[in-house]
Amino acid sequence: MNILKLVIKNITRRRGRFIFTLLGITIGMAAFVALLSLGGNMRAEVTRQAHAMGASLIVTPKNWCAYDQISILTGNALPESLQLEVYEAVAAIEGITAVPYLTQKTAVQNNPVTVTGILPAEMKEFMSWEVAKGDYFSSVDERAIVLGYGIAERFELDLKDSIRIQGEEFPIKAILAQTGSNDDVSIFLPLAVVQEVFEVEGYISYIAAQVADLSKLEFYEAAIIEVANVSVTSDRQLLSAVLSMLGSVNMTLQLIAGVALIAAAFGIINTMMTAIYERRREIGILRAIGAKGSSIFKIFVLESGLYGLLGGLLGVVLGLAVSALVAPLIAESSFNDLLKGAQIEVSLDPGIIALSIIFALVISVASGLYPAWKASRLTPVEAISYE
Amino acid sequence: MRTEGLTKTYDKSSVATHALRGVSLEIPQGAFCCITGPSGHGKSTLLHLLGTLDKPTEGSVFIDGKNTSELNEGELATLRAEKIGFVFQFFNLLQSLTAVENIEVAMMFGKRSPKEQRAQAEKLLDMVGLLDKAHAKPSELSGGQQQRVSIARALANNPSILLMDEPTGNLDSESGEEVMSHIFKIHRMGKTVVIVTHNDELAQKAEILLEIYDGRLKSC
Ligand SMILES: Nc1ncnc2c1ncn2[C@@H]1O[C@H](COP(=O)(O)OP(=O)(O)O)[C@@H](O)[C@H]1O
Ligand SMILES: [Mg+2]
Repeated sequence: MNILKLVIKNITRRRGRFIFTLLGITIGMAAFVALLSLGGNMRAEVTRQAHAMGASLIVTPKNWCAYDQISILTGNALPESLQLEVYEAVAAIEGITAVPYLTQKTAVQNNPVTVTGILPAEMKEFMSWEVAKGDYFSSVDERAIVLGYGIAERFELDLKDSIRIQGEEFPIKAILAQTGSNDDVSIFLPLAVVQEVFEVEGYISYIAAQVADLSKLEFYEAAIIEVANVSVTSDRQLLSAVLSMLGSVNMTLQLIAGVALIAAAFGIINTMMTAIYERRREIGILRAIGAKGSSIFKIFVLESGLYGLLGGLLGVVLGLAVSALVAPLIAESSFNDLLKGAQIEVSLDPGIIALSIIFALVISVASGLYPAWKASRLTPVEAISYE
Repeated sequence: MRTEGLTKTYDKSSVATHALRGVSLEIPQGAFCCITGPSGHGKSTLLHLLGTLDKPTEGSVFIDGKNTSELNEGELATLRAEKIGFVFQFFNLLQSLTAVENIEVAMMFGKRSPKEQRAQAEKLLDMVGLLDKAHAKPSELSGGQQQRVSIARALANNPSILLMDEPTGNLDSESGEEVMSHIFKIHRMGKTVVIVTHNDELAQKAEILLEIYDGRLKSC
C-alpha cells in the first residue's frame, strides 16, 4: 500500500461523484483546448492568406478605416473610391509593380460573392496565377468570367456555365488553379467591364503593389504619397491589424472557457470538501495509525490533482475532437468572410497539449489546497470522535 | 507507561466540561489493564491521551520513560506508528479498502516493501483466522470480523502497546468471545494491553483494573 494507491481507491469509491466531477473539469478543459486550437489555426490561416496576397504595399484612399483595410485581406467588396489615374501614377514609379482592384458584390445561387475587376495580363503576372481549366482572358474588355478555384468547387460551376451579374449573363471562360489566398473565392472580370456594368467608370477600389527592394519599403511609401493623395499601408501592418482583431475575439472566447474552468475548479473544491466530511472518521483512523498531518494533506492534494490530470487528458482529446468537427463549419459559414473557403486544419500542437494538461493540473491542485489544508488540520481526536 | 496529573477540560462550548480531573497512573510493560466506569466519565478521553491522539490540558504522558508533551506533531505520529496500536469501538476500517489492504495501510509510513507489507498483512489475518476474507471489503464483513481485522491492523508494525476502546462493545456475545480470545493471545505475546470495557469477563482477567468516575481514578 502506498499513498497513490490509497488515493486511487478513494477516488473511485463513489463512482457517480467521481464521474461528474471529472466531467466538469473535462468539459472546461475541452472548451479551452477547442478554442485555443481553433484560434491558433485561424491565426495561421490569416497569416497564410496574407502572405498569399503577394503584395507588400496597399494603396487606399485616405479616409479608409481599419475595417475597410481588413476587408482587403478578407476579399470583401469595397467602395470604388480611387481614380484610375492614381493607379497609373503609382505604377509609373520606378521600382514599383502595381495592380488595381475594383471590388463589387454580386450573388451566385443566392450567396453573396465578390466580383473583382482586374487588368488581366498585369494581374496574372503579379499573382503568378495558373489556369486549371479553359483559357485565360485574351483582351482587356472581354465580357467573360475567370473563376476562383474555391467558387467553382463550392457552387459546382464549370466552363459551360454562366453567371448573371447586374442582369447580364457572363460565360465562364476559365477556372484558376488553387492559390490558397482569397483569390480562390472571387469572380474575376476585366476592370473595364466591371466599371461599365456597375457604372463606376474611371474608378477603382484600391491598389496592391510589389517593390523591387523590400528593404526600402519606406522610401516607396513616401514616393507613392508624393504622387497621389492616398494612404499607404504595408501588408505587415495590415496583417497585424487583423491578427489583433482576431486576438481580441480569441481572448473573449478564452475568457469564457476560463470561466468554465473556474466553475470546474469549484466542482473539485466542493467534491473534496464533501469527501473530507465523509471521511473524517477515516482521517482520524489514519492519524491514529501514524499518518502525519502532512501525509493527510498529500493524500487530498493528490486526489484533486488526479482529477486535473485525468480531466486534462480527456479534455484535450475532447477539445481537439470538437475543434475538428467545428472547423469545417466555420470555414463554411457565410458570416465569416475572413475564413470563407479556407481549409482550417486542426493541428495537434504538442505544446498546446502539454500546456493544457499542466494548466488543468495546476488548477486542480490549487483547488485541492484549501480542502487538503482543512483535512490536515483536523486533530486526530477531532477526526476520531466524529461519528 | 505512566501519567502524571492528567487533566482534560473541553471548553470549546460555553460550558467547560471537565473530562479528566487529575489522573496519575502507571502501567508496567506487558501488563493487561482494563479501564471501566460509567459512560461519559472520561474513559475514552484517557485512552486518547495515553495514545497521544489528544493533548492534556495539564499533566503528562510518559511512554518508555519519554515525556510525550515534549514531542512535536511529527514525532508523535512516528511514535503512534511504531509503538502503539489502536482498536476503536466501531468504524475502524477504511471502507474503500479490502481487509488485507486495511492492514497494509498501517505499514504505509514505514520502510516495508509492498511484498513485505502483503506478507505481514496475510500473516496477521491468518492469526485472527480471516485469511479467507483477505479481499473482502469491510461492508462484506460482520462486526466481529471487522474488529478482528482491526486487531490485526493494530499489530501490523509490531507495537509494544495496544490501546482498545470498547472493542467488544458493539458485538454479540459469540463474536465478543472470539475477539477476546485474540486479545488474550496478544497479551501472551508480551504486549502491554490497555482496554476500555464494560465486559466483566475481560475485567476479571485484568492484572490492573482501573475505574474512572467523574474524571478521577477510583481506587480499587
Ligand atoms: N471533543 C469533545 N468536546 C467536548 N466534550 C467532550 C469531547 N469529548 C468528550 N467530551 C466530554 O467529556 C466527557 C468524557 O467523555 P468520554 O471520555 O468520551 O467518556 P466515556 O468514554 O467514559 O464514555 C463527556 O462528558 C463528554 O461529553
Ligand atoms: Mg467512550
